[in-house]
Amino acid sequence: MIDNLPMIVVGALFVMGLYGIMFKRNIIKIAIAVSVVESSTNLFLIVLGYRTGGSIPVYTLAGEFKKMVLPTPQALTLTAIVIGLATTALLLSLIMLLYKHYKTLDVYEIRRLRG
Amino acid sequence: MSWQVHLPALILTIPLLGAFVSIALTKPRLRNFWFTFILAATAVLAFLLWRRVGAYGTLIYVMGGQSWNFTLPSGMAFPIRIIMEVDAFGAFMVLTGAISALASGLFSIRFLDRVHDGNKFVSLFLLLLTAMLGLEVTGDLFNFFVFLEIASVASYGLIAFWRDTPEAIEASFKYTVLSTFVALLFLVGVGILYGVYGTLNMAAIAKNIQVGFLEKVALVLFIASMAMKCGAVPLHMWEPDAYGQAPAGIPCFLVVVGQASLYGMFRIAFSIYGQAFHGSVLAWIIVVFGLLSMFIGVVMAVIQKEAKRLMAYHCISQTGYMLMGIGLGLLALSSPQAMSEFGFTAMKGGIFHIINNAMYKGLLFLTAGSLFYATGTTDLNKLGGLSRNMPYTTAMFAVAAAAIAGLPPFNGFVSKLLIYESSFVVHPFLAVVAMVTSILTLASFVKVFQSGFLGPSKENMTTIREVPLTMIIGMSVLCLMILALSLMPNWALSNLVEPAARDLVNQASYIQAVMGSGLQ
Amino acid sequence: MTIGTIYTGFGYWNVYAWVMFFALGALIVLCIRSTGRNDYEKGTYQDEVFYGGNPVPQDGQDLAVPASSSYWGFTKAIASFYDLLVGVHTGILSDYMGLLIATAAVISLLILL
Repeated sequence: MIDNLPMIVVGALFVMGLYGIMFKRNIIKIAIAVSVVESSTNLFLIVLGYRTGGSIPVYTLAGEFKKMVLPTPQALTLTAIVIGLATTALLLSLIMLLYKHYKTLDVYEIRRLRG
Repeated sequence: MSWQVHLPALILTIPLLGAFVSIALTKPRLRNFWFTFILAATAVLAFLLWRRVGAYGTLIYVMGGQSWNFTLPSGMAFPIRIIMEVDAFGAFMVLTGAISALASGLFSIRFLDRVHDGNKFVSLFLLLLTAMLGLEVTGDLFNFFVFLEIASVASYGLIAFWRDTPEAIEASFKYTVLSTFVALLFLVGVGILYGVYGTLNMAAIAKNIQVGFLEKVALVLFIASMAMKCGAVPLHMWEPDAYGQAPAGIPCFLVVVGQASLYGMFRIAFSIYGQAFHGSVLAWIIVVFGLLSMFIGVVMAVIQKEAKRLMAYHCISQTGYMLMGIGLGLLALSSPQAMSEFGFTAMKGGIFHIINNAMYKGLLFLTAGSLFYATGTTDLNKLGGLSRNMPYTTAMFAVAAAAIAGLPPFNGFVSKLLIYESSFVVHPFLAVVAMVTSILTLASFVKVFQSGFLGPSKENMTTIREVPLTMIIGMSVLCLMILALSLMPNWALSNLVEPAARDLVNQASYIQAVMGSGLQ
Repeated sequence: MTIGTIYTGFGYWNVYAWVMFFALGALIVLCIRSTGRNDYEKGTYQDEVFYGGNPVPQDGQDLAVPASSSYWGFTKAIASFYDLLVGVHTGILSDYMGLLIATAAVISLLILL
């Protein structure tokens, strides 16, 4: 059970982020919730690569090692973090422009496009 | 020729180079010339790639140049590098995308005269082109995710391009939140498959896949995310908002970008899972998505009052045709008798519908864009009687509307005929829904034609003139493609569509092309 | 003719045969049309719109049928369905997300069980 703790944390973060996107009315809170879901996904990728008792996956710096953690998920996570950064930046600038036009941050009010 | 070996990488490099250089080009003439040059070069490269795949079979290109796998001292070889794998279906999608990009890029050049930062538009457009082509040539799951995100971020920017319009920002915001979440779902699916198999190479996963609980979870995540990206009902709500508010050449191009995610769904369903997934649940889910999209898309389209939003709902409904056609092919995957009875015909219909939809839907969006350019509005209640002032636009709209409604002799009729006849064999209800959708499509386009082009000329519309020449050239690229596909349907079916359908169904050759023989 | 013919498994489609029949039909229509009156002058009383005996409005704006009123019979006949459908398309982002999660849940139930 304690070995699965990282996966439980991943699931909990994902569900919390999902709750934020679905049930919060403030669009800044929605953007924060998207960021939380991104964090949970990145954590999931890192946890996939973990091997118990493994050392860092660098030959020259590992010293004495029995096994290493997998490096590929770490590369995937770096890419995902950068993509998340770009998306969060764009999302926040869109929110700024939305506030300038609509004068409200309530997602129930920002619905001129409907039907 | 030896340089053609590098075609899968060149087709990504040229637009990417164009995107990065065009930031520096602020002078309009230089920027327009560079834009046209890069689009034309990409179209030529796409055609050469298609020819090469037709001649040599599935092409493999390893990024990094050496072999795609790494042999350990113990003798086991496992895949390590990022590869591009282009089979006939991928080459078909690349060709469609490049032609559509050329047409919408030529069309958008005139729009850039009215904004002061056109170089950013060109850069985002070329980035979106790179990402879409990357989605269609890649053979690696995480690479697919990266290109998916590049395409998404570029389209967030392009949809919100008219920053002074509140609705455009709202549409882009909704699309951004939904699309980011869905891309993260895809990443979780990729992570699950990586955790089980230790590799991200699509062919390596396909060779070793055994569908257990985790693979089914990954499949659910993939299908949900790709269905949202291509606009299947009930995940379609962002599409009318986004396509209705983007600048005019962009929805024409976003149609093919949506089809690239349709390509992703079918690549996963056919080539990665393929026959390892027992039962027909997946196929029926895709067919039901198709049915819902067809019907609800067109029923919502009949009541719209704004031209581009109406056309976006039609885009949803045409995506339903493709989903149903290829879904029926997936249904028949496990039994050769069913495949020869209706499956292969349905797949040919669905795949032919992909290129048809790109051509006529793109042309319809471009005509709506030229209406907007000439009159300043796309509200159907305000337009009227423009056929005297804009003859070329009217003619091309008539051709595209007849093609989308499935009227003979156009190409829409051919692909719809294949879908009607094969779906009738499975269950008559499917064919009935498809035909009712066709009728309602015709109805709504007659409505747009009547209110936009026919009728008496209104006072405030008498000074409207035809759109400039580059826009007409952009539209006529697509119109010529529609007429060519209509007059030579059996050439198109046997040379474009049939190799694509055959390669999609043939999971073994997809694996074989990468893994060679006798490797683990 | 066999050029240009597509054989679906159930029949065939030949675009050139269709075009020839259409051209033949157009020829027949033109022949019938040419047997009509040929004293049509543009700009005289023959060119005017019949507006039910009322004076024709000068501005086309008052004469045109707006797009919102097209297919009103169809829309009224299935009005209950349309109210439900347009009611689902609320325009609120959270509802879109809810539909996404609901669809993913339904798909996962079907595939995982």
